[in-house]
Amino acid sequence: MSKNITEYALSMLRSLPRVSLSNIRDNPRAYRPTKRGRGQHGGDKHGAGNKGSGQRQNYMRLGYETGNNPFYLRFPLEPYYKGQHLRREYPPITLHQLQKLIDTNRLDTSEPIDLTAICNSGLFTILPERRQYGFQLKDEGADIFKAKVNIEVQWASEPAIAAIERNGGVITVAYYDIHSLFAAVNPIKFFRKGEPIPRRMIPYTDELAAYYSDPANRGYLADPEKVSWERFVLSQKYGYVLPCLENDPDYEMLIQRKDPRQIFQGLEPGWIINLKDKKILKPKSKELNEFYSS
Amino acid sequence: MALRKFINFNTFNIIRPFCFKSAISLENLYPNKSLKIFTPQQTVEQSTGGFTGHIPIEKLQITYSRSSGPGGQNVNTLNSKVDLRFHVESADWLSSEVRAKLMEMNKTKISKEGFLILRSEKTRSQQLNVADIMQKLRAIIRAAEAEPEPISEESEERARKRKLKAARLRLQEKRNRSFTKSQRQAPVDF
Repeated sequence: MSKNITEYALSMLRSLPRVSLSNIRDNPRAYRPTKRGRGQHGGDKHGAGNKGSGQRQNYMRLGYETGNNPFYLRFPLEPYYKGQHLRREYPPITLHQLQKLIDTNRLDTSEPIDLTAICNSGLFTILPERRQYGFQLKDEGADIFKAKVNIEVQWASEPAIAAIERNGGVITVAYYDIHSLFAAVNPIKFFRKGEPIPRRMIPYTDELAAYYSDPANRGYLADPEKVSWERFVLSQKYGYVLPCLENDPDYEMLIQRKDPRQIFQGLEPGWIINLKDKKILKPKSKELNEFYSS
Repeated sequence: MALRKFINFNTFNIIRPFCFKSAISLENLYPNKSLKIFTPQQTVEQSTGGFTGHIPIEKLQITYSRSSGPGGQNVNTLNSKVDLRFHVESADWLSSEVRAKLMEMNKTKISKEGFLILRSEKTRSQQLNVADIMQKLRAIIRAAEAEPEPISEESEERARKRKLKAARLRLQEKRNRSFTKSQRQAPVDF
């Protein structure tokens, strides 16, 4: 049968030579070649002036200041703040401070503790506009830490993880993108905006994604089976008997985890919270529901 | 009105389990896997394959005390020194060969009663000192378990030649010295 136009085009592509500067040209009338000026206004010196580098096309390099130290060379490179605006910060919270919060009833250990809970205590805050991406848990006070908690922070050192787990607790590190942080850090201010709860985004660099997928760091994207094994390995490294979570009466609370797209415990992305009328508005349309659970 | 109030009351009392699952929930990232954290079995299996690195912590006696050295209030008040001891002969989590080797290699660390004693006050933190001591213990057990490397024939031959040469040179030096000394004596008239 007769070939169709696509087949023709493809067979041409197969046989024609490679595209290069020698076999392409501009469309007709795409540009107009400049003409050298003639007559009283365009002629005589043709816009090049008198003598000098201008008429003789022997120009000085850009930035040259006829011998004195040029502006672009006067100041040495001092890159102290290079990339400053892109660097992430994780304000620290020590185990000592955490124990104090728990002892003074500012944190409820019968519920999972996350970024929102720590910010709601009023003593610690995160400023997302200053590129603070959440709390890092430091191991200062590991020797006196006694509480059994289910805690979610954004960065944790190994001795801090060991201290939490030796007391029968569970620790997870989770990533919050800047937009979710604004919501998580001050939920009441966010709900008053009337915006639907956003989805939490996944880590934005490969390094971060690797950190949060690593069971040794207790990442929220890591395989819980591998995390269980790492818990045991850490107990052997730090010389304590790993408490059996299954026998704990608070087992259900301790293994409770948020979905990776969730910001608030118990609230889904897409919901609008009406604080004044104490109502929750949920999206009804199929497209919206599909989007928020994607 | 009363009926509506009753219905509202009913719906508030129904506790539905919160079950939001997005496309990147753990169920979708790791399908067909148990997503609950569990505690692995902690029995030590040393009978086959030698020391795996697993030490039963409950069979060790770990005590804490104050560290020595400068440090002011911190060193005076915190129990950062760690003392670990266990009875080697009755440590059934180690094979009998390893136990014998341990006794032999760490004579200076074993008390009269037969307890292997390890101490650590390396860092400011008790937790990190316990980690340090566990590392030391594992190193000691691995050293006790390690078989000496077989010496090759060439090395043995070289060692033998070295010993013979050393002896030869020593005797040569001795002869030279003896001659020098004898030259300092008066000659004997026969």
